[in-house]
Amino acid sequence: MDGMRSSTHGFAEFTAVNRPWPAGEKSNIVLQCDTAVELGNPRDESASFLVWTGNPGLVRDGMITRIGPDVAGRDGARLPLGKAVILDVEGFTEENCYDRHREIELARYDVNLKGYMMRAVSQYMREWSRISRQAIAEGFSLDLLAASLMERYRRLDYVRGVEILIVTSSPDDVRSLQHVGERAVRLISAMNKMAQEMSFDCGTCDFTDVCSEVSELRTMRDSLRGKENALYERN
Amino acid sequence: MKETEGGKTTIIAVCGKGGVGKTSISAITSAMLAEDPANRVLAIDADPAVGLALALGFRARRTVDDIRNDLIAKVKEGVRGDMGQMAKALDYEVLAALEEKNNLAFLAIGRPEQEGCYCQVNDFLKDVIETISASFDYVVIDGEAGIEQVNRRVMERVSHLLLVSDQSAKGLAVASSILDVAGRAVGFDRCGLVINRVRAGEDRGIGAPPGLHLLGSLPEDDNVRTFDMEGKCFLDLPECPVRAGMRRCLSAFGLYPAAKKRNTEGVRA
Repeated sequence: MDGMRSSTHGFAEFTAVNRPWPAGEKSNIVLQCDTAVELGNPRDESASFLVWTGNPGLVRDGMITRIGPDVAGRDGARLPLGKAVILDVEGFTEENCYDRHREIELARYDVNLKGYMMRAVSQYMREWSRISRQAIAEGFSLDLLAASLMERYRRLDYVRGVEILIVTSSPDDVRSLQHVGERAVRLISAMNKMAQEMSFDCGTCDFTDVCSEVSELRTMRDSLRGKENALYERN
Repeated sequence: MKETEGGKTTIIAVCGKGGVGKTSISAITSAMLAEDPANRVLAIDADPAVGLALALGFRARRTVDDIRNDLIAKVKEGVRGDMGQMAKALDYEVLAALEEKNNLAFLAIGRPEQEGCYCQVNDFLKDVIETISASFDYVVIDGEAGIEQVNRRVMERVSHLLLVSDQSAKGLAVASSILDVAGRAVGFDRCGLVINRVRAGEDRGIGAPPGLHLLGSLPEDDNVRTFDMEGKCFLDLPECPVRAGMRRCLSAFGLYPAAKKRNTEGVRA
């Protein structure tokens, strides 16, 4: 990550400033012929993920870091997209973390800004955006987008702080971010597997390495296994 | 949602017996509606043969059924996912499958290869198609023979049901039976019949079967035949008797000249 700071495409750190932007329609599709800037097209590099921590010291609340160009004045550009959202949260337990994770994962879809289209597949860390010419002409920027996202996450009462990193500098830089995110996504996949399948056969599980390393996952596994055993005994 | 006025989406389903020229008519209709650059037109190929792609000069790299089958294969392999995330992923995949050329976009439905009932996946996909369609002014669906396929795999309701037949008794009977089924299975606002490939000298006394509203007829036309045979893109079809005839039919259907509906770029006001 430190290597990206010296990116020739620009590096900026600033505090989020919320400014009003009109809402789009429900589906808010921006067609190619209306698009000024496209980020993370399915044929281009894209890496987007979200991580959370209970340690406030790890999150610079309200801080946006942008590596690479913003979208203003870049009509016709197709850029790679890297995006990492880091949340400072409280009150996560093995009981609620799966449901809360689902809630925070889906929160980004609620950001509905006129002239901005976003589609994503969390499982593959892909996020694809289009910004219309009209939106660019009216002053849309990645900073505005990041500030709107922050505002959405803050509406969750267990979120204490949000920091966002956006990378548009180069496919290589986005790939670097992807390597960072892969670990987080694997951890979340392990949690999802436990919660959805209620299967605790560690001998056949692909995620034993992650569970061995992360004590919270082991606690969650033990708690779910305890519940399953209790249910089995009752029946 | 499906009214023609007031900036809403007009959805036209083109149906009729196999071999009567549905795909050519769908392509010409899409091209004529897209003549006005202010209009956003989506052509949906719901015929498993995927002939509309060629007729409009698109390459159907991925179909909706490819997406559906990939997902079902993953589920069979044991890959599980949250339903909310699955719906979002399908939305991403379908939008990525959309081919775009200026103000005309194209989506192929494809051929379902997986047997069995996957109602939830199908419902998600239909929702995604309806959501995407809502961003366009006009949607033209090149259907299989029966409207029930359109209903099952693409759209619950259309605004215009455009039936196509040749002059044969069989073609006209199929058009009548499609209308019968449509009355029971699909919502639509208007229905009209176009009689295609009428030979010179056989155009007198052309009529529609009872209950069908005749929009007009199209002559046998070497331009269309050549484009069809050579796989040329119908966006390049020069002015010809079929174009003139189609213009009259669409006008009788309240679709031509295409109303300018969009007053902002990228998003509706």
